[in-house]
Amino acid sequence: MIREVVLVRNKLGLHARAAARLVGLTSKFSSEIHISREGRSEAIDCKSILGILMLAASQGTRLVLSINGRDEVEASRTVQAFFDAGFGEEN
Amino acid sequence: MTGPKSEILFHGCGVASGITLGTAVKLDSHQRVELKTSLVPDQLESEVNRFRAAVEASRRQMAELKVSLEEKVGKEHAFVIDAHILMLEDRSLLAEIEGIIRSECANSEWAVRKAAATIQQAYQSLEDEYFRERASDIEYVVERILINLAGSEPFDWDHLAGDLVIVAHDFSPSSFAAVDLERIRGLALESGGRSSHSAIIARSLCLPSVMQIPDFVHFVSTGDAILVNGDEGEVVVNPREERVAECRARIEESGMRALPGPGGAALPAATRDGATVSLRANTELPHEVRVATACGAEGIGLFRSEFLFFAHSTGFPSSEDQYLTYRMLVEAMAPHPVAIRTLDTGAEQIWTGSDLSGCANPSMGLRGIRLSLRTRDLFRAQVEAILRAAQFGSVEMIFPMVSTVEEIWRAKEVVREVGRSLSARDGAAVDVSIGAMIEVPAAVLMLESIAREVDVLCVGTNDLTQYLMAVDRDNPEVANLFQPLHPSIVQCLQRIAEVSNTLGRPARICGEISANPLVAVLLVGMGFRQLSMNPRSMAIIRKTVSSIRVDAAERLAERILRLSTTQEIVECMVAEVSRILPLDLGQYVREITNPVLGDGSATGFTPGRRVHA
Repeated sequence: MIREVVLVRNKLGLHARAAARLVGLTSKFSSEIHISREGRSEAIDCKSILGILMLAASQGTRLVLSINGRDEVEASRTVQAFFDAGFGEEN
Repeated sequence: MTGPKSEILFHGCGVASGITLGTAVKLDSHQRVELKTSLVPDQLESEVNRFRAAVEASRRQMAELKVSLEEKVGKEHAFVIDAHILMLEDRSLLAEIEGIIRSECANSEWAVRKAAATIQQAYQSLEDEYFRERASDIEYVVERILINLAGSEPFDWDHLAGDLVIVAHDFSPSSFAAVDLERIRGLALESGGRSSHSAIIARSLCLPSVMQIPDFVHFVSTGDAILVNGDEGEVVVNPREERVAECRARIEESGMRALPGPGGAALPAATRDGATVSLRANTELPHEVRVATACGAEGIGLFRSEFLFFAHSTGFPSSEDQYLTYRMLVEAMAPHPVAIRTLDTGAEQIWTGSDLSGCANPSMGLRGIRLSLRTRDLFRAQVEAILRAAQFGSVEMIFPMVSTVEEIWRAKEVVREVGRSLSARDGAAVDVSIGAMIEVPAAVLMLESIAREVDVLCVGTNDLTQYLMAVDRDNPEVANLFQPLHPSIVQCLQRIAEVSNTLGRPARICGEISANPLVAVLLVGMGFRQLSMNPRSMAIIRKTVSSIRVDAAERLAERILRLSTTQEIVECMVAEVSRILPLDLGQYVREITNPVLGDGSATGFTPGRRVHA
């Protein structure tokens, strides 16, 4: 199991389009992927767009990922890169 | 599942008096019943499959929508649909819904709504406006699933026992056509208001109703016991046993009081000094004629023909359909006259979807006689139906929203044309009286010219107030200015009474105000001798008229005409009338004081309070 902290970098936050892309990304992996706000206990299924939007993660929010499964390393790398790239958006 | 449900008390605006104890029927924004049905365990798998099929159908439709959206607006903007599709595929949502179906043995519609409500509530508590707004995306997706679940089965009202109470955010006049009126005994709505069209219909149907109940629908489910107190503006969901017992006693007591006295015979009302005042019924629905005759109405003072049109959600009623309805009314009331107002679609239009809708200010737009003169075929069909019905009794044809003399000329020309072709066809000469609604200030100012063109003047005090005060009565921001007893209205009424008497054209008050004993005294004092009202109010108005003397009423009118604020007028009326009228006027005093002097609760100014008992 991998735990890591990611940062929402882009201006719009983890909004609908980014959330949709995150779900698309994580759904490709067989690992269970959960996400929560740093310091909060409730973990959200990272393959659920309704859950992700509920995080209401705006720019600067720190999120904790926990990934558990056969392809967890690959999944972790992909998700981390997605956050680092500011969801591939301009800001 | 929760234990016994706790009582919840809501406050709103009581718009139609009376008390009802019944079963809630919750309607969604498409007037579909939100109903939980109990399934047997054997049915659960097929119910889950039905749900999955609806989700799959929704997913397919959205994928198609995405393709067409991409073509129209480009890939950049079609991503919204991606989010919607992902919501449809969201396994936590699907698992939640299927869980509800299985654990509660519930139908899919119920499970979808319940799961969605929980999620939407969670979203609505978010601080960030953007994320909070995503609740509307969920709404869209849920709506799509429900449409696919709906299939073609209409709702079977026999599922529910006892008297039914409609619970909804909104209930438009046309919705009355979609429900089983024989079963409905009350309305509890989040929207609406005292002067809304639905409230007027509710009063004429004697349906105890409370409207403008904030944040309410969410707490009610179809099948819940519900108590509607239209007198106090209270609604209680899952009332306690003691409250139910107390309420039953009050219903019985008021039921005895509300029984129409005269038992079918039309009774003229006469003042103590011998002046007769003709009391007539305002009706909306054809079958109300029974109530009208039972209450002793001396005719129908205003039949609002719109309902016939609302009831036909597809297209318009044929001239033949209309004729049969009008004839039934005319025969039922004969020898007393029936005043049929030609189509007056107002702010709450039946035209949605047609080219005539969509203007920003419908009450100032193409409506009433303006619309009829523009849609001649529709108008001719209605005129023909009225003329044919007139062979069976006494009929007045009333044109609504008249603002110029030319409109009356043109409308009368249509009546003549149709009359000629009817007598050529059937050989029957028909005769109707012609009337004009006096509700536009222009018509009041040039009343002499209008009165010379017609046989009768019908005063629509609600619209007159709205136009004279330049206030939209359904806009809570300005609803406190909707003052039917404002000095300007009183002056207009006085002028109408004078012109009516000078030119010998009867003038009839058809607004809701004539059902208030305090106002009725004023109207009699001004010289009005025809009052048309909700038939259930006739008993109290008959009693009022027979308790007063014309000279005393005239003195009241004189005094009131000198006052310059609504508050002074109301205070003067209350003081003077309670002196000459030996009746308990509490309820009627509240009716005229609340919107003006009180806390504004009758106009929706005060947000309702919700108390968890």
